[in-house]
Amino acid sequence: MSLLREAERLITNQHAQAQALNAFITPLPRAGQWVDRVKEADRRREQGKPKSKLDGRLVSIKDNICTRDLPTTCASGILDKFTSPFNATVVDQLEDAGAIIAGKTNLDEFGMGSNSVHSRFGPVKNSRRDSSGQDLVAGGSSGGSAVAVAADQCYVALGTDTGGSVRLPAAYAGTVGFKPSYGLISRWGVIAYANSLDTVGILGRTTSSVRDVFSILNRHDERDPTSVSAFSRTRILEQLQESRFASRLTSTPLRIGVPVEYNISELTPSVRRAWLMSLAHLQAQGHTIQPVSLPATKHALSAYYVLAPAEASSNLAKYDGVRYGIRADGPDNTGKPDGYLYSNTRGSGFGSEVQRRILLGTFSLSADAMDNYFIQAQRVRRLVQLDFNAVFRATHPLAAAAGDSDAATSSSSDVDVLICPTAPSSPPRLSDVTGPSPGSSPLDAYVNDVFTVPASLAGLPAISVPVTASESGQDSDASDLTGIQVVGQYGDDELVMQVGELLEGLHFGSS
Amino acid sequence: MLRPWLNSGIVRSLSLVQRPLYPVLIQRSFSSARTLHATPDRVPLRKQLKQEAKSLKARKKQRKESEEASRQTWELTVGVEIHAQLDVAAKLFSKAATSTSDAPNSNVALFDLAFPGSQPEFQAATLLPALRAAIALNCEIQPVSRFDRKHYFYQDQPAGYQITQYYEPFARNGYVDLYDYDGIAPEDGDRVRIDIKQVQLEQDTAKSQEYPPSTQLLDFNRVSHPLIEIITMPQIHTPATAAACVRKLQSILQSCSAVTTGMELGGLRADVNVSIRRRGEAPGQCSYDGISGLGQRTEIKNLSSFKAVEDAIIAEKNRQIRLLESGGVVEGETRGWTIGSTETRLLRGKEGAVDYRYMPDPDIPPLVIGEDVIAHLQENLPTSPDALLAQLTGPEYGIPIEDAKPLIELDDGARLEYYQDVVDILHTLQGDSGQSQPAALARIAGNWVLHELGGLLTKADRSWDAEIVPARSLAELVHHLQIKKITGPTAKQVLAVIFEGDRRPVAQILEDENLLLRPLSRDEYAVLASAAIALNPGMAMSIRSKNQLGKLGWFVGQVMRMGEKGRVEAPKAEEVLRELIFGAKR
Repeated sequence: MSLLREAERLITNQHAQAQALNAFITPLPRAGQWVDRVKEADRRREQGKPKSKLDGRLVSIKDNICTRDLPTTCASGILDKFTSPFNATVVDQLEDAGAIIAGKTNLDEFGMGSNSVHSRFGPVKNSRRDSSGQDLVAGGSSGGSAVAVAADQCYVALGTDTGGSVRLPAAYAGTVGFKPSYGLISRWGVIAYANSLDTVGILGRTTSSVRDVFSILNRHDERDPTSVSAFSRTRILEQLQESRFASRLTSTPLRIGVPVEYNISELTPSVRRAWLMSLAHLQAQGHTIQPVSLPATKHALSAYYVLAPAEASSNLAKYDGVRYGIRADGPDNTGKPDGYLYSNTRGSGFGSEVQRRILLGTFSLSADAMDNYFIQAQRVRRLVQLDFNAVFRATHPLAAAAGDSDAATSSSSDVDVLICPTAPSSPPRLSDVTGPSPGSSPLDAYVNDVFTVPASLAGLPAISVPVTASESGQDSDASDLTGIQVVGQYGDDELVMQVGELLEGLHFGSS
Repeated sequence: MLRPWLNSGIVRSLSLVQRPLYPVLIQRSFSSARTLHATPDRVPLRKQLKQEAKSLKARKKQRKESEEASRQTWELTVGVEIHAQLDVAAKLFSKAATSTSDAPNSNVALFDLAFPGSQPEFQAATLLPALRAAIALNCEIQPVSRFDRKHYFYQDQPAGYQITQYYEPFARNGYVDLYDYDGIAPEDGDRVRIDIKQVQLEQDTAKSQEYPPSTQLLDFNRVSHPLIEIITMPQIHTPATAAACVRKLQSILQSCSAVTTGMELGGLRADVNVSIRRRGEAPGQCSYDGISGLGQRTEIKNLSSFKAVEDAIIAEKNRQIRLLESGGVVEGETRGWTIGSTETRLLRGKEGAVDYRYMPDPDIPPLVIGEDVIAHLQENLPTSPDALLAQLTGPEYGIPIEDAKPLIELDDGARLEYYQDVVDILHTLQGDSGQSQPAALARIAGNWVLHELGGLLTKADRSWDAEIVPARSLAELVHHLQIKKITGPTAKQVLAVIFEGDRRPVAQILEDENLLLRPLSRDEYAVLASAAIALNPGMAMSIRSKNQLGKLGWFVGQVMRMGEKGRVEAPKAEEVLRELIFGAKR
């Protein structure tokens, strides 16, 4: 099929399913300059000279990544109708590779949420339904990107992953979702939620398509001060070229770690079944399965929900309606000299979940709470990192060369990757998390991030791939589709993707 | 003696006495007799001035006495924070240019406006002036320092936070020495050392312009201009020393080219914290920066002149004393000061205190400063003002301290540079002739640069420009004077001509205008002197008989007047007069 026909099919889906799924805030118009660009890509492909594997492909972009030609709203009232004066580096990189920016996808406001229901533009709906035909949540916060991929509305999509926001919706929607090592993909033009955790992630129907995108974006960018330098990238690659690492999966089997702390009582049976069957499948292929302990994991979620809101409260202080964005009608203070300057603007512009996290973060950074919350959470974050360093065979390439005796001495195991579920359960019903009196508290949504947050705190590469494990005697239904997560040492992104590929799309029966 | 440049300053300040300027000037320039005939409904100006001076003196004395009395009972403790704009081409976290004069909002990068998705880009060049300042302030440069966010909402602060160095500043543990000549209080003796707690890098805010009642315009050109904040320990105990400390810090910052402009032009702002405790009682309950036993302190923000620093501290100290003496309690408040006022005013009460929620900035990597950079800057640091002062007053230059200080401080060091040029050229001109000792030459040059040239500048109300009278011209003029090719009055006259724009070389002016000294012969002097004595025989007689040598000078003046202009040299005239009057005695 030509690239143009493929693109037209995807765009038709975008428009046909706009009402039903609400995956896009700004869809790509049916006609436009992009049509000519795809035709040119088709010509290049016929001549055997495509710009890249993405030449002429439709890539959707989460609406918290800046685009000059389309609005960037972060699904927030405060940036309603905002158009950025510049492109994010990732957008430029994609366009340079011939890709077509295929609209801006819906999300939880500023990336804060696990269900993609906290949007000024309404919730995203999962393209799957449960056995009784009820609507399911898409997962968040990159729910629009995940659903756009799952429902054939684009070829691949970019999301952002701060605590699991790419992996969780990938697991719920049944796509592949990849969060690279922190600092490999540029964040210039990616609107910050929690800078020290934010990464651009990639969603695709296959790991292979995700890898194609990653190879285009995996570059140093001098505009992003947290982008890993060219020098460090070389050093990381050199370490991985040592024979004991280069031989993994080619001539030597893998040692696969199973974190025992992840086997929690809240795990639903279908998820546990998919996890076990995935491990058994890999063992059958000759890989070693080894239980490992990550003791700090049980504090990771709490630490995340202190640190991320703290950074968010700081990052979102800039939205005051003075220089850009929306300003509330009328005078915006009480008229007194000491009045609050932007209270109306911020009060009406931000949604409830964003306001909740700003308040949480403001509290945990306040002088009286700082030590007990922010500092304590940073300590937990360091422990989580040390936990991972203790179990991986590869050392962390960016860890301090000397003095990290903790990691060196307590090295109890030496695994190549960790495998665990992406989420403890299958997607909840949309009706359970929205409506006037949702049957769940914000904390219930936070719990869904329990398995994704540790890799975010440690900046490690992680991928979620769809695995189906049906119970005996039954046809597989939506609840049998589970996301299985592969986590690797910092910089081991390629291995993580390869292991994901071994599991991607597997269907396990009961036998 | 009033320095000429001080003189006209006094004339200007007189106009502040809310009277039309011209009568002051007119009456000052004519004989004082006129003022006696002033209209009866007006108090004669002279009397009025006298009365005003008298009452001012009385007020000052009274204030001094009450200050002394309160000092006996209460100990004042002050710490100072200085914010100074660094002299750099780009902003702290973007490549946008720093500027004070460009069209508003013309130098603004995305990050300066806190555009969503933009990120900071630390400009390493900022470090050079910042490090020079920290080295000049004797600080320990930290090998690793970090940036933090200080949160508060205000429209001049686009990100909702200021990026600063709160937890780990780049320089710590410095000090500044204040000497008696820096204007410290007499009770501080010859020298007092004030420790510097830390020096940190931070962003400036945007400039607001208020158009009451409801309009504010914002100019983001200034936003993120790199600043350093210098925090002293609370070790200052008098208002005068606090002002001297700020003045000294400014002169150090300027001498190492760290900052753009001084306090007068807004390039430097000071906050002070003030506490008092009763002497001889149990120590206070408060502790700041590791110094305990202090009283509750208040902070006075945004002082923009040295005088404001001193006056605000006096006012705040007295407010706290009144409060405590009437049984009240000092609250940890933030207060403000209006120039010319006598009271500090409340800006923010304790309950309104801002919690800045300092957080490490997650986007900005740590600042790592290498030993090599520090060593290089240390080697190339310009001489400190104290060392300059020692040099100027030392054997090489021999300038009196009251001249050396203005030479260093005037015109951001440009006057000193000019002076040194003049001295250098003079030395070359003198060559090996050995006419004068080097120090004598330097002292004479100092007098001409500061007082003669300074006087012309003040009279013409012009600001400093080294090109008005090129250093070479002044040096040649002084050289001609030194080798007695011209007289002092001629030199002054020629200086004025050059000042007015005459660009002919000095030698040519002297030639063209026939100003070179053609020395009178002994006989010519004798003729002039005899004539003078003949006109005033009685006076000559009384000099001779009563040995009234003081009157000899009058005769010298007469001879000068009678002789051809620019040719009579006073010492020679006196010599001849002596011989003629005392005659036989010699």
